[in-house]
Amino acid sequence: MTMQLGQQDVICEARQVWTMFDDNVIHQSLNLQVRTGQIVALVGGSGSGKTTLLRHIVGLTTPTRGEIFLFGENLHQIERLKQKRLMNRMGMLFQQGALFSALSVYDNIAFPLRELKQFDEETICRLVMHKLALVELEPKHAMLLPAQLSGGMIKRVGLARALALEPELLVLDEPTAGLDPDRSKKFVDLIKQLKHTLGLTVLFVTHDLDTLVQMADRVAVLADRQIVADCTLDGLGMIDHPFVNNFFHDINSRLERAQ
Amino acid sequence: MAAASFHIELDQQGRPHVRLLGQWSLRSVENDFAALKTSLAPYFADPFASWDLQQVEQLDTAAAAVLWAGWGARLDDHRISLTDQQRAIFDMLANLDTSIRIRRQPDLIGPVANLGKLIVEFVSHLRDFTQLLGLLFLEILYVIRRPREFPLREFSANIYKSGVTALPISALLGFMIGVALSYLMSKQLRAFGADIFIVNILGLGIIRELGPMLMAVLIAGRSGSAMTAQIGVMRVTEEIDALTTMGISRILRVVLPKVLGLTLIAPLLVLWTSAWSLTGGALSANIELGISFRFFFEYLPTVVDPVNLTLSLIKGLLFGFVVTLIACHFGLRVKPNTESLSVSTTSSVVTAITAVILIDAQFAILTRGIGV
Repeated sequence: MTMQLGQQDVICEARQVWTMFDDNVIHQSLNLQVRTGQIVALVGGSGSGKTTLLRHIVGLTTPTRGEIFLFGENLHQIERLKQKRLMNRMGMLFQQGALFSALSVYDNIAFPLRELKQFDEETICRLVMHKLALVELEPKHAMLLPAQLSGGMIKRVGLARALALEPELLVLDEPTAGLDPDRSKKFVDLIKQLKHTLGLTVLFVTHDLDTLVQMADRVAVLADRQIVADCTLDGLGMIDHPFVNNFFHDINSRLERAQ
Repeated sequence: MAAASFHIELDQQGRPHVRLLGQWSLRSVENDFAALKTSLAPYFADPFASWDLQQVEQLDTAAAAVLWAGWGARLDDHRISLTDQQRAIFDMLANLDTSIRIRRQPDLIGPVANLGKLIVEFVSHLRDFTQLLGLLFLEILYVIRRPREFPLREFSANIYKSGVTALPISALLGFMIGVALSYLMSKQLRAFGADIFIVNILGLGIIRELGPMLMAVLIAGRSGSAMTAQIGVMRVTEEIDALTTMGISRILRVVLPKVLGLTLIAPLLVLWTSAWSLTGGALSANIELGISFRFFFEYLPTVVDPVNLTLSLIKGLLFGFVVTLIACHFGLRVKPNTESLSVSTTSSVVTAITAVILIDAQFAILTRGIGV
């Protein structure tokens, strides 16, 4: 597989990233690349800094040392307008949905569209209804408030909001946490299908091995403050690291079942 | 990746032929669909314009929706040439149910309806408040029969939180107001040569009126808002429900210790605030009028009837009770969203202060024959 990998193909990249909370080192010269069109899972033990890395990548926090590139740009070194536009090319689904609780489902999804100030209300309405249909929600759900939604629906609305601006990169923090196995399977299928139709690149963090096996093309394993493996699921077997060995053992049976 | 653009050609009859080029999608960050729509507006309006989208590199739903709206929400096959993929996008847009947007037209009965809603809201507040009062009374009876169930830890925690930690701020506030009042009045009194009356005025004014009032405003702003927010968050995070599932009454465990704690501590806070106010007043009187501290405090009981102190303590009890009950009432009405939490906290403080002032006025009328 010697593909010509131009700079274009790398959609986001962490380069020599160090993160320290006081004296506690979370990441130690960590490197990670995500290429266009992949579904990459970021896994690791509890407290290994997966979510911290995800927050660095989407620009919520800055690493102590090192650089994060999103679409080839360092988010914290470009001017504000450009930064905003760059952020619009990425959608994030938070673990608890992070829906604006005072706004209805409709207004939540319309929010990023209105912020863009390029569309009239009629167009926004059509786009919102389209996003609702994409995540397989019905038009009658549009006027509900987040407090009236079930866990699975909150995730779907969060996903619809993340997709509102037709992003290239979708970042998911624990997409299936808190969903029952059946719903989480459906949600994974939905994301895979959306990835296909919209041509997304997906980066997600998960604890759930079923989700991992069902969804990921590639897996990046975070252990010992570094990415110790970045390969396909099958490729994990070739890597000699205690955490990866253990981990591969756990997912192997699932892989066999899936095949 | 070229930004979205268009090219106009006129055919022999002068009819425009619009050719769209580049990336008609939000992914191309230079695109501004509002501007594109404006510049395309004359061609949208022209019934003879023909459109060619075959050379568009990428068309997403956002751009398609803009074009769709421009074309008057229909596809005219003779005038618009599309690839199959693009046609699918437009077909999908056409089939969406957008009826949800038809809402809220300006109506004439709006103001009347709003007034009605306001009244219904007020009545529901009144009903809930009465219910809370009744439940609280029942819980107090229950606790009297089973004293072991009394939530002693919460009770003492509340005394500490709303009482002890309020001491510095209420002392400072009382002292400064005492100084200011005494300073202003001594100027007036000196003009009449009635220096000595500063003791009467400050004594009666502070002990009977200002002390309880200051204390009430302070605890409404400080403890009342905190209680509403705390109970509100407990409702949002379902902690109140968790209590109920353990068979623990939320009135007994959450409301009762707050109400009893603050009601008990309020008269003491009144004493404390009044004492600091008088001290401030005495200091100012000493500087401005040369009245000694010793004289001020020895003369005070002879001109201010001690019954005023009793009245002030009763007021303190009453205000403490009302402020806490209102705070708890609004806290329990919080709905699980952030908007409701902020509205309830604000209403709680405003209502508590208004209620205290109304009660104070009533009290002044009822006790007009006592102690003055």
